[in-house]
Amino acid sequence: MVDPANTPLGRMLLEEITPVVMVLRTPLVEEACLKNGLTLVQMLKPFCVFNNIDVPVRTASDQPYRLQKFGLRLFYELDIRQPNLEVAKERLKQVINQAADKDLSELCSDLPQIDNALSISESEVLPSWFQFFNKELVHSVSFSDHEAFDHPVACLVVVSSKDDQPINRFVDLFNTKKLPSLLTNGAMDPKILKHYLLVHDKQDGPLEKATKILTEMRSTFGSDCQLLCINSSQDGVVEHQDYPWVLYKFEDLPSQPLRCFLNVEDFNEIKDLMQDLSTKHIIPYMEQKIRLLNQQVAATRKGFRNQIKNLWWRKGKDDVVDSPSGPTYTFNSIESQIRVLGDYAFMLRDYELALSNYRLISTDYKLDKAWKRYAGVQEMMGLAYFMSDQSRKDAEYCMENAFTTYLKVAPSSQQNATRCGLWWVEMLKARHQYKEAATVYFRVCTEEPLYSAVMLEQASYCYLLSRPPMLHKYGFHLVLSGDRYKKSDQVKHAIRTYRGAMSVYTGTTWSHIKDHVHFHIGQWYALLGLYDLAANHVMEVLACGHQSKKTQELFLRDFLQIVQKTGKTFEVSELQLPEINISSLRVIFEDHRTYASSAAASVKERIWVSLEEEMIPNLSTARTNWLELQSKLIPKKYKESNVCVAGEAVRVDIELKNPLQIPLPLSSVSLLCELSAVSDEMKSDASSSLVEIQDGESTSLIHRDVNFESSLFSLSDVDFSLAGGEKIVVQLTVTPRVEGILQIVGVKWKLSGSVVGFHKFDTNPMKKISRNRIQKAKHPHCDNLKFVVVKSVPKLEGVIHPLPKRAYTGDLRHLVLELKNKSEFAVKNLKMKISHPRFLNLGKRESLNLEFPACLEKKSSDQSAEHANLNDVSHALFLFPEDTIIHGETPLLWPLWFRAAVPGNISLYITIYYEMSDISSTMRFRTLRMHYNLQVLPSLDVSFLISPCPSRLQEFLVRMDVVNKTSSESFQIHQLSSVGNQWEISLLQPLIRGKSSTSEDEKSSHPRLQGTHLRLGTQGNNGPCFDIASSPLADFHLSERLYQEVLNKGDTNPVDFILISRPLKNDINPEVSEPPRLFSHHACHCSTATTSPISWLVDGPRTLYHNFSASFCEINLSMTICNTSHHVDYKSIPVESVSPFIWSGSSSTRVHLDPMSRTEIPLQVCVFSPGTYDLSSYVLHWNLLLSNDQENRDRSSSGTCQGYPYYLTVLQSD
Amino acid sequence: MATTACFIIVSRNDIPIYEAEVGSAAKREDAAQLHQFILHAALDIVQDLAWTTSAMYLKAIDRFNDLVVSVYVTAGHILHIFRSNICTLLNPLYLPGSRIASSHFDTKVRALARKYL
Repeated sequence: MVDPANTPLGRMLLEEITPVVMVLRTPLVEEACLKNGLTLVQMLKPFCVFNNIDVPVRTASDQPYRLQKFGLRLFYELDIRQPNLEVAKERLKQVINQAADKDLSELCSDLPQIDNALSISESEVLPSWFQFFNKELVHSVSFSDHEAFDHPVACLVVVSSKDDQPINRFVDLFNTKKLPSLLTNGAMDPKILKHYLLVHDKQDGPLEKATKILTEMRSTFGSDCQLLCINSSQDGVVEHQDYPWVLYKFEDLPSQPLRCFLNVEDFNEIKDLMQDLSTKHIIPYMEQKIRLLNQQVAATRKGFRNQIKNLWWRKGKDDVVDSPSGPTYTFNSIESQIRVLGDYAFMLRDYELALSNYRLISTDYKLDKAWKRYAGVQEMMGLAYFMSDQSRKDAEYCMENAFTTYLKVAPSSQQNATRCGLWWVEMLKARHQYKEAATVYFRVCTEEPLYSAVMLEQASYCYLLSRPPMLHKYGFHLVLSGDRYKKSDQVKHAIRTYRGAMSVYTGTTWSHIKDHVHFHIGQWYALLGLYDLAANHVMEVLACGHQSKKTQELFLRDFLQIVQKTGKTFEVSELQLPEINISSLRVIFEDHRTYASSAAASVKERIWVSLEEEMIPNLSTARTNWLELQSKLIPKKYKESNVCVAGEAVRVDIELKNPLQIPLPLSSVSLLCELSAVSDEMKSDASSSLVEIQDGESTSLIHRDVNFESSLFSLSDVDFSLAGGEKIVVQLTVTPRVEGILQIVGVKWKLSGSVVGFHKFDTNPMKKISRNRIQKAKHPHCDNLKFVVVKSVPKLEGVIHPLPKRAYTGDLRHLVLELKNKSEFAVKNLKMKISHPRFLNLGKRESLNLEFPACLEKKSSDQSAEHANLNDVSHALFLFPEDTIIHGETPLLWPLWFRAAVPGNISLYITIYYEMSDISSTMRFRTLRMHYNLQVLPSLDVSFLISPCPSRLQEFLVRMDVVNKTSSESFQIHQLSSVGNQWEISLLQPLIRGKSSTSEDEKSSHPRLQGTHLRLGTQGNNGPCFDIASSPLADFHLSERLYQEVLNKGDTNPVDFILISRPLKNDINPEVSEPPRLFSHHACHCSTATTSPISWLVDGPRTLYHNFSASFCEINLSMTICNTSHHVDYKSIPVESVSPFIWSGSSSTRVHLDPMSRTEIPLQVCVFSPGTYDLSSYVLHWNLLLSNDQENRDRSSSGTCQGYPYYLTVLQSD
Repeated sequence: MATTACFIIVSRNDIPIYEAEVGSAAKREDAAQLHQFILHAALDIVQDLAWTTSAMYLKAIDRFNDLVVSVYVTAGHILHIFRSNICTLLNPLYLPGSRIASSHFDTKVRALARKYL
């Protein structure tokens, strides 16, 4: 433990609680002193502090001790009164203002770091003016009548030797009515020690006159008279090496160098005077007074009897006291005397004596309910405990007691409470109890915001200095303090505290806290006119999605106002409004792969790759080929870069999100780009120039953009408004104009027309390259932002019109593919591949202008030419004729056939390959990728059921079920065709029921799509018949066959049907003249197979007449059995009779049938009466005679067939 | 009685992972930031106390004017700070540092708050 006297509080007490000397002087004395620019008190002050006075002191006890340090406080009589509160307040404010003005430059520096705050020592943390402020605050409650240590101990009466009748002057000075109220109102003894001083200004004349007066004085006033000579320096100004007044900062001291007529002799004389005054007069006087008072106190208060008496007396007084400040005590009351005794003892460092008297008086005051005096005594007790290094607990208890008691008698004692609190704080600080000190500072806070601000700031530093540091509290109290500073218009201080708090809060995620701090610092900087700093801070809070809408509006509005005041376009890197979703960044560029639409560009690369597989010679070799060509021009390091073509736009899709609930107007959203032309690149060192671009200042970037915009590349810009919470994907493009290296650096935008924000994409070159390599391996369509711009090459643009977005299944349309080449160079060797050949088919050039659907109608003329390329359908690669060259303004139009094959959502991918006719170009070929999505709705559901015809052999009944699955469309069935020569279709009845017959004999090796047609529908056979064997229908049919083959496998003799229907005219709005449409439905591989391998037919008469009276009727029938399978069969035909007729002849027959052969069995039936008989009561059993290689396991090897109904009518003949 | 309460769950390194303003009192405009300030400042006290006591529920450890801070410290030193005495048992198993975004959790907390306030 340090010596209490050496702690800050100890030093403060030794300075503050010292005897007061009242100074009375004549105006001429003051005049003489002012020659040096100093008042009398100011002149004497430096010599009132004695560090090594070494005076023996004997107070109440007999044991003398020696006093080393001592001091006097000198005050003019006018200053010995309670300071005016308003004046004191004004002075404190000035102190704060001065402190604020001092460190303006600091406010503009970088934010302090919390680590720094932790590492520096206490004295550096605390602003120096705190001490001064606290002292002023303590002084504001001086000369209170409830405590005696401010009461003058002695009076120094000073008269100049120039005064007329100096002796009378001495008497007059003390007798005037100007004496402080303390002396006149009875609060203190008016009979105080007087010391008479005659001041002689040597410039005014010789010393003789003065000494004469002095002897006169001595004879009048006794020995307490002295002479002081000043201004001894004859030749004017004397320069002093150790000017003693420098140490004392008088607020009212003129700042210019003092003209000083005091020389060393004068100094010594003053010094001797003051020392003499202290040691020979004041200290002995105090000793004497202490002893005297002590005797009195002992006589009246010490001892058991006195205590009882005192207690009883005070009890009796209880009822009388009702004044709020407690009873008044005159100087000769015993209470006042005890207090004076205590204070004198304290001033002479006899803390034991002081304490015992304070204790004594404190109970008295408590009983008298003289709370202010009680608090004052408690305060002194606490200090005495501290100074005597006694019980810590008691010291703190006394301070707390004093503090709360002062507050209890508030508001008049608020200042006293503050002083007490400050001393208490110092006490805690001296014992390193910073945490507790902080809470005391917090309690010291008053309604006065300015004082509170200073106290809170001091509290915060206590938290910082406590071990371990309490940073959260530090930050919080700084903020509280800053808030109060702002309330009292101390903006600079407010900023200073908030900046300190910021060091705590940076890096945390406590959103509301950060918003509050940043926003207010920003506002305050704006008040000071530091708009740049202000904008920087307010910017931090812009992305405040967690705040209410009102707050968001406030933040944004303030920000824009501040920005406006900066008077320039404010450029902000990483502006938070709107949010840039970097992960959504997509770069769409075209090298040899070009896209017809943005939809096509967003398709996954591997879909295209698999589609283009066969078409492109070899992707990798192709790449290296043109890169080799380019390698002369492009440094090696850019081989990893993407390639784009001069004159063609590189598109960047990026998602912008408004995190706020208020709309954000954005304008001039564009890319930030750098393009170094090839020529520049070659001249300078490639790497260095590129690095320079990447690390360049943001502002310079923008400038360069402007310069380049006209020459090297062009940018697109977008204006739009983001509604609250809205996300928008913007498409931005850059179009390089010359060859070179293009780097997309970032995106920039203008917020509300005044703030330019930009966001750089991650451009760390090292990271980029390494990541790029990995990505390259995975997907070549990576988001590398660096491009090698190559020379302009032809580019095809393609569009298919009018490709429908929605279609009904079976819809057959005639479309046109339009290919344009804007370049002057031609392209050749066009190839096209379609992902879904079922849906899309390339037509003949001739059919371009044909009228649809008339062109499909069957013509009797030759068909041979139309079947030229039917086989190509299978792999969906279409080669355009070799002479197809596209260039210049004339677009290539080519017919396409479209048919909606199956219902569902279909993505059609079409890629067109073409080669450059210009061999010198850097790219040999390019591909045009087209992508369409279409929705196919179900229309007619056609199903066929084929069953053997019971009445004819080798004929089948075909049942076609057509269900209209649409809700609104009506269809007219137009035509049903069976495909191929093997089958023939005909109507069974004039209903929709078909009959087909086989013609086994002819088997065509070439799948020529001929067949039979059946006109259906209302028009009967009059309407045109569509040719299923010619181009589009035949092609589509082959596709369908290929596709459906997978589904129906293993049928021996399938049949294909094509149903052609047309939509009925729309009745709802007949004005809309739709182009005639055609629907084709293809059913392929319809099975004719049945479960049994045989078919049979019973043949014979159906109706006959017979005279039953003559005999029963014998009827001969014949059964033809046909083996339709390819295997050797053995069949048995047992015939059983259970009905009113009898099978005659053999009841069971066994037949052996060779494959694909038929046999005929005679049957006979006997009928006994007329009637109609069903001759189905027979059964056919069959067995397969399996060959050695039993291949057909899935078929059963034997089976039974019930007979067909056969109705025989026998009538009675006449 | 109109009470207001702010309920914050703080994970290690002082990261707030859940915040809820509950209570029946009329909302002050600056309530959210004031509560954050107070609770953030209380963390100092919590850090002191958490190591010295085995109790998980630390009642009224800090106060600012009439606002009282109580803390529930879980085993993983995730702090559930709240004012007024809501007793909530929570499963502390979660990804360290990640924010609690579950709306279900939010409604639960608010329902509990209504019950006890």
